[in-house]
Amino acid sequence: MDLSNEKIIQMYRTMKKIREFESKAAELFADGRIPGFVHLYIGEEAVATGVCANLRDSDYITSTHRGHGHIIAKGGDLKYMFAELFGKETGYCKGKGGSMHIADADRGILGANGIVGAGHNIAVGAGLSAKYRGTDQVCVCFFGDGSTNQGTFHEALNMASIWKLPVIFVCENNLYGISMHQSKHQAIQDVADRAVAYNIPGVVVDGNDVLAVYEASKEAIERARRGQGPTLIECKTYRHRGHFEGDPTTYREPEEVQEWLQRDPIPRLIEFMLENNVLNEEDMKKIDEEIAAEIEEAIKFAEESPFPPVEAAVEDIYTDIVEEVRR
Amino acid sequence: MKAIGIIANPASGKDIRRLVSHATVVDNNEKVNIVKRIILSAQGCGVKKIYIMPDTFLIGYKAIQDLKISKELKIDVEILKMNIKGNVTDTIKATKIMEEKGVKCIVVLGGDGTNRAVAKSITTTPLIGVSTGTNNVYPEMLEGTVVGMAAGAIATGVSNIDESCKREKRIEIYKAGQLVDIALVDCVISKQKYVGSKAIWNMEDIDMVIVARGHPASIGFSTIVGTSLIVGKDEDFGAFIRVNSGSNRIKAPIAAGTIQELTVDEPKVLKLGESVQFKPNYNGIMALDGEREVPFKIGEHFQIKVTRNGPYRVLVDKTLEIAQKNGFFKT
Repeated sequence: MDLSNEKIIQMYRTMKKIREFESKAAELFADGRIPGFVHLYIGEEAVATGVCANLRDSDYITSTHRGHGHIIAKGGDLKYMFAELFGKETGYCKGKGGSMHIADADRGILGANGIVGAGHNIAVGAGLSAKYRGTDQVCVCFFGDGSTNQGTFHEALNMASIWKLPVIFVCENNLYGISMHQSKHQAIQDVADRAVAYNIPGVVVDGNDVLAVYEASKEAIERARRGQGPTLIECKTYRHRGHFEGDPTTYREPEEVQEWLQRDPIPRLIEFMLENNVLNEEDMKKIDEEIAAEIEEAIKFAEESPFPPVEAAVEDIYTDIVEEVRR
Repeated sequence: MKAIGIIANPASGKDIRRLVSHATVVDNNEKVNIVKRIILSAQGCGVKKIYIMPDTFLIGYKAIQDLKISKELKIDVEILKMNIKGNVTDTIKATKIMEEKGVKCIVVLGGDGTNRAVAKSITTTPLIGVSTGTNNVYPEMLEGTVVGMAAGAIATGVSNIDESCKREKRIEIYKAGQLVDIALVDCVISKQKYVGSKAIWNMEDIDMVIVARGHPASIGFSTIVGTSLIVGKDEDFGAFIRVNSGSNRIKAPIAAGTIQELTVDEPKVLKLGESVQFKPNYNGIMALDGEREVPFKIGEHFQIKVTRNGPYRVLVDKTLEIAQKNGFFKT
């Protein structure tokens, strides 16, 4: 398969960037410097990275409440992301969206989304648009295991299948819908099994192995570009943190957490790269330092940016009623 | 004791072959159904005790619960008390425990990979492999009811093992004289460097295929040999073939719905116990029974041989023919 050392190094850089971004976000949230909620992607980096490494700038993604990793993997700018988390005017959504609503239409990022399961149908819309316009763009829809019990999931797979839309449904199965274990909310173990009902391929991959995710998504994306329709890829993974920052995670056994920490996707990739001379420790250190500097710069940018003015609260909305309010 | 064991792998049949080929889909609820049919059939044919491997989908628990609710379960069915890890080690461990408990037959629901895991630890207990993977060579497409009857005939001694079973071949991979792994059907040497999504399907990366069996009426990489040279499962030899080498153009069914054209060398017969010496000049990986498993590096030295040290396979048809002759079905 076409997987060069450069591509592997690029994936390492992306995973590391996500990890460091999220680790900083955790610190900043704990310090009270980030308002609202944050849902961190630490532990799941291989999924967004492996999938998005196959995408073009013109392709689309839809994201979830745990969306920072998706945005970074699709090429989001850390400066504007941190600014958005800080609620600053320079953020992706002018500081009005926060952690759960980052979007960047120029990069095909159709938005993180605080509503569970809301991305499925947006992705189908994007897929329909691409097909209607006759392009070979695809849309990747990221979602969690819990959202596959929502009607939107089933409606989306059904419609994407019937119309053979170029949508890749990527389930990040981290075993928990908030605090509820998968075994308590659905009578299946593999979400991929649900693909059968919609006559599309459904596969399970190790979501903590970026090379496995890359391979599976490459096949699915190429298939979609050829006009063969959607695929459901289930990536088995685990979030190292709670559902949200501050979640005491009393619903998880320490042994389970420890077991999954042993499968951390980043050390696994590092081990592979060193063993196969893809990257040496010196070059890896250089990449790590570049990422650290980029993050520091992004935080500085965000901190020095202004908050939006009060009037901005009634801008960029779909109704004129606010004019009356303004008056 | 008229006991049998059942190992059902909840992870079989879910891999990337569903995407890169038109592979069969068997979901876990169907595995529960198959286990129920095996239990009822074995119960009806004299089995008194069944042990089932615990698993992350609770296949055994669900089967027992359903049969208790319908009041059809009359015998003792026990889930083995063992900690599970949700990976291949569960299968290996369960096999060992079942043998220690003295089961007369082990039924395995899974693919080539699951049967290979069982074969790593099973000794002399007869094995029935039921295919619930993504199109397999080793396990067969068998109806659970028939499987339960055959297991019953073996467990009750109506069909004796000498006549009803056949010891299988296996491929043994040695590194520096140490056995490092085995395969039941094929060992594919690939230039890919990583395990990734495990399954193997890219022909351009393949260097050599070693088989314990190879037949054109089959599927997978063993057919690269089988379409040139038939290596029957009962014949006392294996074979190997260089791929992307030589001048023979062939076509072979390497995956479900995939007839692949490729260039190969002449296949070479490998007598039982005879070794293929493999000293790679590239880093790569060996895929065993279709799954990338054993990475190797330039300069390492492997010996790969075919032996008849595989598991004892229950010949289901023959077992039931013997049972019929011995009056097994008379009440």
